[in-house]
Amino acid sequence: MKTVRLYLRSMKMLMKCQLEYPFSFFLQTLAQLVMEGGEMMAVILIIDRFDRVNQWEAGDLFFFFGIMSVTFYLTECFGRGITGNFPYLIRTGQLDTILLRPRGVLTQVLCSAVDPRRITCIAVGTVSLIIGCNLARVQWTGLKVLAMAEAVLLGAVLILALFVIEAIFCIYSVKSVELVNALSYGGRSACEYPIDIYPRPLRILFTAIAPFALVLHVPAAYILGKPLYAWPEWTAFVCPLAGAVFFGLIYLAFQKAMRFYRSTGS
Amino acid sequence: MRSYLSAFRLRRKMELQYRGAMLGGIICQVVFGLILIALYRALYAGKPQTLPLQHVVTYVWLQQAFFRMLLASDPDLLDKIRSGSIAYDLCRPLNLYGFYYARIMAQKITGSLMRAVPMLLFASLLPEGWGISLPASLPALLLSLLALMLGLLCVSALENITMAFTMRTLDPRGIQAMLNLLMMTLSGNILPLTLFPDSWQKVITLLPYAQLLDAPIRLYTGDVPVGEAWRILLIQAVWIAVLIALGVWLWNRHQKRIVLQGG
Repeated sequence: MKTVRLYLRSMKMLMKCQLEYPFSFFLQTLAQLVMEGGEMMAVILIIDRFDRVNQWEAGDLFFFFGIMSVTFYLTECFGRGITGNFPYLIRTGQLDTILLRPRGVLTQVLCSAVDPRRITCIAVGTVSLIIGCNLARVQWTGLKVLAMAEAVLLGAVLILALFVIEAIFCIYSVKSVELVNALSYGGRSACEYPIDIYPRPLRILFTAIAPFALVLHVPAAYILGKPLYAWPEWTAFVCPLAGAVFFGLIYLAFQKAMRFYRSTGS
Repeated sequence: MRSYLSAFRLRRKMELQYRGAMLGGIICQVVFGLILIALYRALYAGKPQTLPLQHVVTYVWLQQAFFRMLLASDPDLLDKIRSGSIAYDLCRPLNLYGFYYARIMAQKITGSLMRAVPMLLFASLLPEGWGISLPASLPALLLSLLALMLGLLCVSALENITMAFTMRTLDPRGIQAMLNLLMMTLSGNILPLTLFPDSWQKVITLLPYAQLLDAPIRLYTGDVPVGEAWRILLIQAVWIAVLIALGVWLWNRHQKRIVLQGG
């Protein structure tokens, strides 16, 4: 509970910092809108040209794009400490100051940054979700709301874990590790569309290794009423737990890596 | 002229330093390419288009390979303005615009060639339908190389215009990000311009962003036949002249008003 209070407190402080330069903040927020708007325009144009992919129609595609976009940018907004400059903290040796304080490393890093500029990205994702729900005529039930909430929450956990991998690499090699981006940003790009349209290697990569498909696509397909691979209903609630398991494994690896951590910098 | 050449050479050497980081970048870019191609293959399987799939695949690989040409900006200038050491640059007996133009061009050429060569080699080894195809003809290849050179001049001029804004506002991240993102969409990196609605394409291909990579790629794949290449080259040349003129004007104006920080 104390940790949550600490987190909320730092968020409030950091938000204030960001708003110190309102004009610059406004422009950067607008830039985010251009970025995510561009991505969504690509989806609109693709639907305009191709109508559908396999069994997935326009509404479904908007929904898949929306759920990914909302999840990813909620994470980038509130987990900026981890998704942003974690490797930088390690490279410059700033992690040392964190080690001195009586709180967990990840908690402190998580509390170190927030990125409210992403609000426009989240808004674009939400619009896409609403369009998707309308076009696909989704009948909302209590269970579907629950599935959606679980998917977004555990999706955020999964994405945080992917960025912690980057930090782990950094502890061992102190180099920039664009390689991990293939999993995190690559996963985002790929899984803006339903997983079953991809060939087997990519399906395995984003199901078994970075389980975006289990966490986001299985519940999304359930909400849309077109179960993925015709799996039974309960899988929509069980599969997303893969995100938590994934985070657990990465967390253990991170603890191990921290023991290896040797300060850089002076 | 000699001094600009050496600014170019120095910058090229610096860019060559980061060979280690490059490998990760290449692998990442390859994965992105494969994901995009898988997506377009699935879309084409449902509803084939008049534009051959192989052209789209080639488009994606060339875009990914020369990605670095689009997004590579010079962070030094911003630091120099913030710290005030831009004063040293102002003392040089050089035109500042030309100096930074040479630097940014070196960065873009070196950065993209280092990545493009291994990536295109890899892409050419992939099986039909996944890999890059050969150029439409030898003249098409030569013309597309020429167009790529002109595109490079164009993107460097664009970058310098962005930097001109840096001189005015100390925090240019907003403007810079917006211009860069517009570039990503309108240059065909997010979705090939050839898949945009036909009526949009007529306008978009005239914009400067389309001159960087879209124009050379269309010549390469033969979407624009060799006979009509002169139109593309003409549009590119006009944009280069306009963008450089605009950039020089902005730089000269802002240079007079520049406020030195620090001390």
